[in-house]
Amino acid sequence: MIKTKNLIKIFRTDEVETTALNNVNLEINEGEFVAIMGPSGCGKSTLLNIIGLLDNPSEGEMHFNGYQVENYTERQRTNLRKENIGFVFQSFNLIDELTVFENVELPLLYMKVSGSERKRRVNEALERMNIAHRAKHFPQQLSGGQQQRVAIARAVISNPKLILADEPTGNLDSANGEEVMNLLTQLNEEGTTIIMVTHSPSDADRSHRIIQLFDGHVVTENMRQKL
Amino acid sequence: MIKILLNTVIRNLYKQKVYSIVNILGLATGVTCTLLILIWVNYELSFDTYHKDIERIYTVYENQKYADGDIFSVYSTPSPLAESLKEEYPEVEYASRLVSTWGQLVLSANGKTFVETGGKIVDPDFFKIFSIPVLYGDYISPLSNESTIVLSRRLSEKLFGDIDPIGLSIEINSNYQFIVGAVVENAPENSSIHYDFFLPFKFFKEYWEYDLSDWEANSFHLFVKLKDGANSEYLAENIRHHVRQRIPYSNVELDLQAFEKYHLYSISKNKSGPIWYVQVFLLVAVLILLIACFNYMNLATARSERRAREVAIRKVVGAQRRGLVGLFLTESIVFTTIALGLGIVFVELLLPVFSDLTNRTLTLNPGNLKFLIAVVLIVLSTGVLSGSYPALFLSSFLPIQVIRGVFRQDSAMLRKVLVIIQFTMSIALFICTCVIYKQLNFLKDSDVGYNKDNIVYVEMLDDFYEEYSELKGELLKIPGVHWVTAANQMPVNFLNSTWDVNWPNKSVDSEDVLFQLSFVDFDFIETFEMDVIQGRGFSNQFGEDTLKFIINESAAEKMGMVYTIGEKISLWNYTGEVIGIVKDFNFNSLQVGVDPLIMMRKPSSFKYIGIRVGEDKDPIINKIRKVWNRKFSHIPFNYRLLEEDFNYFYQAESRMGKLFASFTAIAFIISCLGLFGLVSFITENKAREVALRKVFGANVDNVFQLLFKEILKWIVLSIAIAWIISFFAMEWWLNGFAYRIEMGIGIFIMAAVLSLLVACLTIYRQIARLVTIAPAHVLKYE
Ligand SMILES: Nc1ncnc2c1ncn2[C@@H]1O[C@H](COP(=O)(O)OP(=O)(O)OP(=O)(O)O)[C@@H](O)[C@H]1O
Ligand SMILES: [Mg+2]
Repeated sequence: MIKTKNLIKIFRTDEVETTALNNVNLEINEGEFVAIMGPSGCGKSTLLNIIGLLDNPSEGEMHFNGYQVENYTERQRTNLRKENIGFVFQSFNLIDELTVFENVELPLLYMKVSGSERKRRVNEALERMNIAHRAKHFPQQLSGGQQQRVAIARAVISNPKLILADEPTGNLDSANGEEVMNLLTQLNEEGTTIIMVTHSPSDADRSHRIIQLFDGHVVTENMRQKL
Repeated sequence: MIKILLNTVIRNLYKQKVYSIVNILGLATGVTCTLLILIWVNYELSFDTYHKDIERIYTVYENQKYADGDIFSVYSTPSPLAESLKEEYPEVEYASRLVSTWGQLVLSANGKTFVETGGKIVDPDFFKIFSIPVLYGDYISPLSNESTIVLSRRLSEKLFGDIDPIGLSIEINSNYQFIVGAVVENAPENSSIHYDFFLPFKFFKEYWEYDLSDWEANSFHLFVKLKDGANSEYLAENIRHHVRQRIPYSNVELDLQAFEKYHLYSISKNKSGPIWYVQVFLLVAVLILLIACFNYMNLATARSERRAREVAIRKVVGAQRRGLVGLFLTESIVFTTIALGLGIVFVELLLPVFSDLTNRTLTLNPGNLKFLIAVVLIVLSTGVLSGSYPALFLSSFLPIQVIRGVFRQDSAMLRKVLVIIQFTMSIALFICTCVIYKQLNFLKDSDVGYNKDNIVYVEMLDDFYEEYSELKGELLKIPGVHWVTAANQMPVNFLNSTWDVNWPNKSVDSEDVLFQLSFVDFDFIETFEMDVIQGRGFSNQFGEDTLKFIINESAAEKMGMVYTIGEKISLWNYTGEVIGIVKDFNFNSLQVGVDPLIMMRKPSSFKYIGIRVGEDKDPIINKIRKVWNRKFSHIPFNYRLLEEDFNYFYQAESRMGKLFASFTAIAFIISCLGLFGLVSFITENKAREVALRKVFGANVDNVFQLLFKEILKWIVLSIAIAWIISFFAMEWWLNGFAYRIEMGIGIFIMAAVLSLLVACLTIYRQIARLVTIAPAHVLKYE
């Protein structure tokens, strides 16, 4: 599903040039649950953003679902993204001005789904995430765990083939984190490919494979045996 | 401490270069315009104020009342009035008539000869009323001797050079001798009364054979100076019927106008005079300063909100509220001070250009100090206000609120309102400018009822009529010269009027119909291409054609003889037949309507020769000059073009129109700076939302529309409000004209389209940039 070849990402600011990714070669298949680990600043988020089509690499090839996308324009990336990818962030990234319902509904708006269908699907997703009773609230009125469940609802609402999660449990206590991990595992079991960045070894234990990054390089790839 | 503070401020200024520049420039531009306008206003208000005791100086003027309710206000008064007022009313300390020499005079002295037009005939009291410094000669009472002439410094230097000319003689028109009695300082530029030399009334009486004891002829301005403490209202009430007490059938009521108002106020009850411009421009100045200040506040508060996080963090690490207030206030005051400084530098640089535009010599002098201080205070309070907003408002929030971004809503509303006000003002100004332009062009181009183009005219010396037929014959031989005529005045500005006209069955209510009066020669109607409705113009095919009258439509109507010729009417003691009726044409500025007019052929009164030439004027004029100089070398060929005179009527108006347009453009630019700055903050505030929407599938077009729509909504609202305001303002203005345009929907639509276009251009790039940026770069910082 995803294949990268000699992926390089360089950030240039006024004075410094940071090589965030250096010759990353990866292949991730459909249905996999992959964890990306590594010390802070090693390039995990950068990699996830490129895989998620939120950013272009500086050099190298990037294949997504058979398309070669590294030179796509923002418009092309958007089109590919909205059909295929859902995102979950460490800091939730809900839109403050919109209610819980509207936040979850957002991806469907851009897919031109009819109003009644949207309502049905949003309610279904909220129920599944156990947050339906908060549909009319604004994000700031919710706890971190609740916000993250809304974010997951938003990520799955369009039935994406791939979910990218950047430290989804990073801002949560262990109970809430556990719940989020259960939801992700369940989604993976239903067939969704999941790529997750994490610092937590126990979260990583849920995955099939751990990719270790160090200073922009992939150092090890551990295949794990599922229980 | 201060040093650290200033350091921070300067670093912030540098870090947000674009916003800082936009912010400072906007305010500086506003300050510049406002100051320029105020300097001009101050200049206009300074007219004549150099006269000592100006509050005791008054002009006596006439309100001529007509049966149909019209009141015609004129400065012209009868000659004996001055002496008579002085004798009968103890309040009147001094009184002086003033009249300009009727046409040009030839002055010779010191072997030099000049044709001069700037002569004034005044009474000796003139120099007691007005503060005119005497440089040489009779300090106490210049002109008290009837054989003296008083020269301005300019004319004295022109005639005699740099010497004291007292006692030297000057000859006028070859047969009047005068001795230089005094030399006075030139009138300053901001004086209503300008002069090159003064002559006594004895000359006026002899030279123009004028009966100075006649109460029925109005030719003179009359200035009086009241005794200290005299009550002018009481005096005005008492002199009201002064003329009628002597001439029982007169329709004249006298009134006083304070000389302080002479320059700016009209004596007509239904006209406001140039004060209108002063008021309008004051309003424009205030609007521009407001726009600029709103603009500044908008940007400054938006900029500081952007630093809410900075404030929060500073507080988390222990900054006191007091310190934060100091930081923001310092920053704001530094900004406004830079803007003020720039503004004043711009004013200095632009003053020469602006002086040219306004046709005044304007300087940033101590007289303007009060305005300068006012502007500085207003701008500094703007600075303090916009500085204290973030200082007090933002820093009063708990850090956690600021970090979570709860605070944004309230001030966003305020800012929208400010932007809407800014745009409303700019658009309304724009519409007003267009309407004013349209009206002025209409006045200039509208059909005056005759063909004013390609008329060359020459003012003649007296008694030219004997030579005139020969001159006319010679001129008509020149190819390109179509018609030649003579008259006592050209139709741009008819001055003579009379109510002494009689016709069969004249009713009592027609007693006081005022007739304009003109003495014209053969071919006058043809030369000016006026439309004859009935009958004919004066022509030498019918002999002398004296004691015949041509009247205009309005006169025919008043006389109740609509379109019939052949009636006998009389003017003064001349009686004769009406041989022609012409269509009404305008012989004054189009701001006033057309009065009844009588024309008669009276060669002894002719003063001007009018020549209709072909399209290609210049070569024809050259040929005329050659013929003229060969045959009539004793009469100077000082020609003028009628169309230029006509344009002169509208010069002041069109100058004001141009100024108004420039200021409108500037107001618009400032508003756009405001919009530009604001949109950059909106896009910044919205960056996260936009990025997230895109992460979840919004494409560029969706987001673009979303942002555009929101901003355009404000502009549309501004347009609507501006439409209403400007419509009513301009209706009111246009109603002051005898001939006016209808505004038409075009101007309003144009203003709307233009402002939308300008707004779109202003915001397009920023929104485009926001929308196309990769979401990863935005979310990174969350
Ligand atoms: N927009 C950017 N501009 C400049 N440098 C950047 C940018 N984004 C990331 N970097 C740099 O690239 C490197 C990798 O950053 P990245 O965010 O991918 O790290 P990370 O592995 O996700 O770290 P963490 O675990 O702390 O989230 C860092 O050194 C970072 O400073
Ligand atoms: Mg990261």
